[in-house]
Amino acid sequence: MMFLFDNEQKYDYDGVLRLLNTKTNYYPYFKTTDVYYYFVNMLKALVASKPLVLLDSDINPFEIEGLDESKINVAECISSSFFHNMEEVVSAVQNSKSEITIFTSGTTGQPKKVVHNIQTLTRTVRIGDKYKGQIWAYAYNPTHMAGLQVFFQAFENQNTLVNVFNKPREYVYRQIIEKGITHISATPTFYRLLLPFEQSYDGVVRVTLGGEKSDPRLYDSITKIFPNAKINNVYASTEAGSLFASKGDCFQIPEAIKDKFKIFDDELLIHKSLLGYSDSFKFIDDYYHSGDLIEWVNEAEGLFRFKSRKNELVNVGGYKVNPSEVEDVIMGIDGIKQAMVYGKANSILGNVLCADLVLEFGVVLTELDIKKFLATQLQDYKVPRRIKFVEELSLTRTGKMKRL
Amino acid sequence: MEKLQLIINSIRKGKNLPELEDITPEMNLRSDLEFTSFDLAELTVKIEDEFDVDIFEDGLVNTIGEIIVKLGK
Repeated sequence: MMFLFDNEQKYDYDGVLRLLNTKTNYYPYFKTTDVYYYFVNMLKALVASKPLVLLDSDINPFEIEGLDESKINVAECISSSFFHNMEEVVSAVQNSKSEITIFTSGTTGQPKKVVHNIQTLTRTVRIGDKYKGQIWAYAYNPTHMAGLQVFFQAFENQNTLVNVFNKPREYVYRQIIEKGITHISATPTFYRLLLPFEQSYDGVVRVTLGGEKSDPRLYDSITKIFPNAKINNVYASTEAGSLFASKGDCFQIPEAIKDKFKIFDDELLIHKSLLGYSDSFKFIDDYYHSGDLIEWVNEAEGLFRFKSRKNELVNVGGYKVNPSEVEDVIMGIDGIKQAMVYGKANSILGNVLCADLVLEFGVVLTELDIKKFLATQLQDYKVPRRIKFVEELSLTRTGKMKRL
Repeated sequence: MEKLQLIINSIRKGKNLPELEDITPEMNLRSDLEFTSFDLAELTVKIEDEFDVDIFEDGLVNTIGEIIVKLGK
């Protein structure tokens, strides 16, 4: 059975099994662009119940407070168990005691660590005969929550993954046909890039959207491109993993975890038992304030819609950016007097990140200078795509920086 | 066309790609210009600043020629 297609490479489950049985080390802090070795390293850690920190391939170590650069890509010896087949591996993964650390763009300062166990990461994974033989387009960053969700859903059923993350439209369509893709889970931005409709792809039976608000027009187009697909939405967060799936244009709180949610001032509060662990989480009476504002459609049935966000995180193509983190880095450039970073509504990414900058007197800097510098300090999605030089920033009446 | 070329080249420079000496209507934004979703978003914002038109508002465009048609409306 094939495990993964990545560019021209293909990897089967026998190869994964062989590597797990022969490798005598793993990387607790692994930074790589090779998605196969990334997955094998993660599995190696999980089956041995060893801790793992998931790092984006383009991350700069100083983007994360307290991350020791010298630990990155340093192997650690590991005692090896022998697995006779993949079923034994899947079972070991399900029972893993590993602590898996991922990062969330907190509402202040730098990204914050969130520690998960396998139970929170695989809460919504479904296993069984009806899930066998699925072929998944892998369209998410593998270190982020949504990417982990898709990985475990596919892996625990020994499905095939086809890596299409950040790949151009023609490549994605070619893979859908050549590899016989049946399932796609991706951000609305990913689907927008598949437009306009040119022909239909009948083999795709399930299309899932997550990560940002989507719009009805996009649904219409997806229905044309994938006429046999059921379409649904998922709500997942770095803090809590996957929590709800959609029902029509609403989300529904599952009956089993209904008592773990509260609504206060329209804000969705999540009980701490559903979350990973982080020093940055603040609880009020054991509930975490998600920052997501919702409205009930049918409170008795747990049906609701998302309205907006309470805090200032900007959703850029499914990535959440904390504008104050970007402003702090910009202020580190010589000659910048003031900076304001904000999101501007955009038909491709949902929001595009923009910066208005005030230069000190006599200083000459170009948009390119700023971008080049930021590229050495921040991950690509955090670099503002439009930089305007202004005489002064608009301030609100209270004197606070105004975000548009 | 010149303004559009300036915008496209400003995005390419930001990605360390060489500037284009010429742009032609049949050029594909994704395969010929090597634009990702983030680059396309930057393109829309900059075109909107310059021409006050959201080229992606009613469906995606694929080529330079399609942009020119939208700007001509």
